[in-house]
Amino acid sequence: MTVFKTYCKVLTKCKWPILLYTVILIFFSAFNTQNNDTSTMFSATRPKIHIINLDENSDVSKHFITYLNDHSDIIDFDSEEAVSDALFYHKISCVITIPKNFGEDFYQGKDVHIDIKSTKDYQGSLIEMMLERYVKVATAYVSIFDDHHDLFQAIDQTLATEVETSIASSLDSDSLNKAALYFNFSNYCLVAGCVFVICMILTSFKSDHIRKRTIISSLNYKKYNRQLLLSNGVFTFVLWLFYIVLSILLVGNAMFTLHGLLYMLNSFVFAFCSLCLAFLIANLVKNKEAINGIVNVLALGSSFLCGAFVPMEMLPEGVLKAAHVLPSYWFIKNNETLKTLETLNTDTLQPIFINMLVIFAFSCLFIIISNIIAKKKRKIN
Amino acid sequence: MHNYRYTLKTLFKNRMMIFWTFAFPIILGTLFHLAFSNLEESEQLNTMPIAIVDNMEFQSNEALVSAFTAMSDETSEDPLFTIQYVDEEKAKALLKDEEIIGYVFVDASTHVMIKNNGVEQTVFKLICEEIIQSNEMINTMIEEKMAQVGNMHITDPTAMIEQIKQDVMERMQEETSYLNDTSSEHMSYVVIEFYTLIAMACLYGGMLGMFAVNCKLANMSHHGKRVAVSPTAKGKLIFTSVLAGYTAQLVGIALLFAFLVGVLHIDFGDNLPLITLLALVGSFAGLTIGIAIATLVKSNENMKAGIFIALTMLGCFLSGMMGVTMKYVVDTNLPFVNRINPAGLITDGFYALYYYETLDRYTMDMIALLLFSFVMIFISMFQLRRQRYDSI
Amino acid sequence: MEPVIEVKNLTKEYKKLKAVNDLSFEVQKGEILGLLGPNGSGKSTTINCILSLLKFSKGSIRIFGQEMKPNAYDIKRKIGVVFQEVAVFDELSVYDNIDYFCGLYVKDKKQRRQYIEDAIQLVGLEDFKKFLPKQLSGGLLRRLNIACGIAHKPSLIFLDEPTVAVDPQSRNNILDGIKTLRDQGATIVYTTHYMEEVELLCDRVIIIDKGQILASGTNDELKALANMEEKVTIETKHLRKEQFDYLQSLPNVLEATYQAHQLVIVYRQGNHNLSHLMEYFKQEQIQYDRMYSQRPTLNDVFLKLTGKELRD
Repeated sequence: MTVFKTYCKVLTKCKWPILLYTVILIFFSAFNTQNNDTSTMFSATRPKIHIINLDENSDVSKHFITYLNDHSDIIDFDSEEAVSDALFYHKISCVITIPKNFGEDFYQGKDVHIDIKSTKDYQGSLIEMMLERYVKVATAYVSIFDDHHDLFQAIDQTLATEVETSIASSLDSDSLNKAALYFNFSNYCLVAGCVFVICMILTSFKSDHIRKRTIISSLNYKKYNRQLLLSNGVFTFVLWLFYIVLSILLVGNAMFTLHGLLYMLNSFVFAFCSLCLAFLIANLVKNKEAINGIVNVLALGSSFLCGAFVPMEMLPEGVLKAAHVLPSYWFIKNNETLKTLETLNTDTLQPIFINMLVIFAFSCLFIIISNIIAKKKRKIN
Repeated sequence: MHNYRYTLKTLFKNRMMIFWTFAFPIILGTLFHLAFSNLEESEQLNTMPIAIVDNMEFQSNEALVSAFTAMSDETSEDPLFTIQYVDEEKAKALLKDEEIIGYVFVDASTHVMIKNNGVEQTVFKLICEEIIQSNEMINTMIEEKMAQVGNMHITDPTAMIEQIKQDVMERMQEETSYLNDTSSEHMSYVVIEFYTLIAMACLYGGMLGMFAVNCKLANMSHHGKRVAVSPTAKGKLIFTSVLAGYTAQLVGIALLFAFLVGVLHIDFGDNLPLITLLALVGSFAGLTIGIAIATLVKSNENMKAGIFIALTMLGCFLSGMMGVTMKYVVDTNLPFVNRINPAGLITDGFYALYYYETLDRYTMDMIALLLFSFVMIFISMFQLRRQRYDSI
Repeated sequence: MEPVIEVKNLTKEYKKLKAVNDLSFEVQKGEILGLLGPNGSGKSTTINCILSLLKFSKGSIRIFGQEMKPNAYDIKRKIGVVFQEVAVFDELSVYDNIDYFCGLYVKDKKQRRQYIEDAIQLVGLEDFKKFLPKQLSGGLLRRLNIACGIAHKPSLIFLDEPTVAVDPQSRNNILDGIKTLRDQGATIVYTTHYMEEVELLCDRVIIIDKGQILASGTNDELKALANMEEKVTIETKHLRKEQFDYLQSLPNVLEATYQAHQLVIVYRQGNHNLSHLMEYFKQEQIQYDRMYSQRPTLNDVFLKLTGKELRD
């Protein structure tokens, strides 16, 4: 118990970094669960655009704007600079300029063009498709319809033709997405938090003077090591539990489904792996300052390379291949797979469990290596 | 000179400091590069696997058949679709196993079945719509033409209909665009990440100045006491120390720039002198923060470094390091925050150089940065003027 | 002759606490002045005030006849300070460290090189020039700390507890070095709470407690304050009550105790106390194991003045 008590006392000195990582986690999750719709859920949202109409008097440009208004959100800004900024930061998908004489040229059958500044992303492409389609239909019809009213009606009618779309999936993909996002990001916090705190505490316990003092004390050294190990285990468990509670608060009821439980299990296995990694690093490095650097590089590195910050499918293939050597990769891969699993049975879950086994294998590897190192070091002393 | 040389030597030999100010930004830059390099490219479409339920209705719809054949032409450079023609059962099975993103089913009308909402699915749906709409166009035009010419004698109605069909199909497939794309070439918002990185490096560099000054203040360090009892003027010592810090800082920034431009090929725009100037002023701002913290915060070095890093990270966070959107949100909702946030100002300066054609915004950023630096220096001077202390 | 340091009515207050209270003393050229006092007695504060690092509430300080100010660079050039804390750059080697601090005083490179060599020789670090501070043992580090402070050959040196936590060999080395410096003509102010060092080294001693001077003077003058000359200890198991009473009643005896087979007799004065005692023991045929005589220590003086031991 003495060891555990001291452990807790040293732990309280580390409360700031833990708090920091947690705040970052909450902030990032909250921020991203609000903003992730841009890339993956795009049909649900209407693209946002800005229109500069230099041909205000023609009815065709008015009709054009009405059409755009039906399919997108038109946003106005105070200044030109604000428009440019909004476009750059993908707040709007494009800026459309209807040129002067647009109406005149249109009715005379001349070639018409619409100026567009686009973000070149999906939403931008969507808007471009909509524009192209309108102009194609309108220029085709203008040669046939004489009456403007009939023309617009025909255009509307044609453009309103839609295909019936059915969505086959019944998954609550929204909250599962959120959960996956949260747990992916928790990779950073688990690695950083766990490794940082454990290394800090272990270096304190293992610093030469204290170690000598412990060895000469009446406490059985093996028992002492076991207690230290147990304390670290308890700390990791509490940290994990804390992040799980947080996930329930942020993601909601979805965490109580089978999917949610699998997410928890997955992160538990990974938390254990972080613990082992922390042991390894604590055995390798003695300098407290160096640990700070190593933890940051390790946590940020694994998070970036394995897709904790940027969705996995957007990473270059080479990076993903290289990421296979990191346990984080398997952890995040599991999160991503879980998101899309519709039915959960032994067949579909098999890859999930295999990935967990891989993470576990990493943990064992870390333990073995750190034991070898620890033994070598003891001999030298 | 003596102090300058040795301060420089001390700074370069401090491994932790060199790691944080030199290596860390470069490591982070590499990570950014690895993680983001595909971000914008992957927003372009790949070939999508789909299925079509091969029934009577589909085969009899000429427009659909020809359009899908055209779009899955394997000889073309990048076909939109790879298509499997299967029966409905098989299509459902394929969709379930995620072998395809969706399938088309034609009966009286045309149906698109997808598994979930997504980018590719939406594009798929839109393309199907376009095909149907061109069909609709043909019909509308034929009807209208017939109505117009109804009273007249037509020599060859089928030829006319064929003509219209031909016209529309050509129109739909023609490559010429009605859009005049005037988008800026400099649209990559990922570069903002790298700009915040430079901002971070500039500010982190201030730590060097902080430590350099810290060693010269009697109330901050033991070394400082030694220095204080020596006959060298304090102002001169501080100045040379700061200069040494700045030199080290600039070496770091130069390395980072060389790495970003030479290895990662990050685009900074073309105005090299102004970019350099911004980096110089940005580093200077970082330096002044360092000096201010060194003189104002009476605590040990670790605490100071902690405060410094926390402040810098907060600044970088607000200027978009952890998500470019953050910068926009802050810029539009709380503009004054990024006006006094040096990281925001540096980032914004680079952004202005990269994206804007005029220099107004860049100039504003520079002025704000300089102003910020002078305020910091003023505050520090106030503290530095003291020669004797109440307690050490 | 004009004193090197002249401190008058120095008072320094930290909020309510008076760290230094109305302190006045002088240091003469060429002497080693010991400032002796327990931890927290105000020794370091006094030195910091003299060096004009600290503001003080009252009093005046003159060094070499001039008022000491933070920008009195001419005075500062002649002063060398070795602080209690080891203040060296971890990143610089032994040689570079000394060069840096010496360079703050001496601009001429050639001369400086000579000075550094001298300093290294003085503290005996010849074999460690290229070493980094963290590669040095505690004692060697202290020596480096001293070398950094005195390399520019100052004529006035402040040494603030330079021997705290130092192994005996290094301590002897340090003390020898200080003597050498004095022999070269430097004036030295030396603070410590080790009275042995003061006794060994100092020409004059000031005893400080709670920011005030309790006593000052040469070793002998101070010891006279203790109002005793000699302390004789005899280990014996066979002393009878009446014999003890007789010894106690002898003239010059200030105090006598007999406890745990140990007889301690403190004499006020007198020259042949020990031989008289031996004669008495022979005459009475009292067997004894050992008999020895001690001169009074500064600790005895301190004990006498404050009623407490110098070291707690």
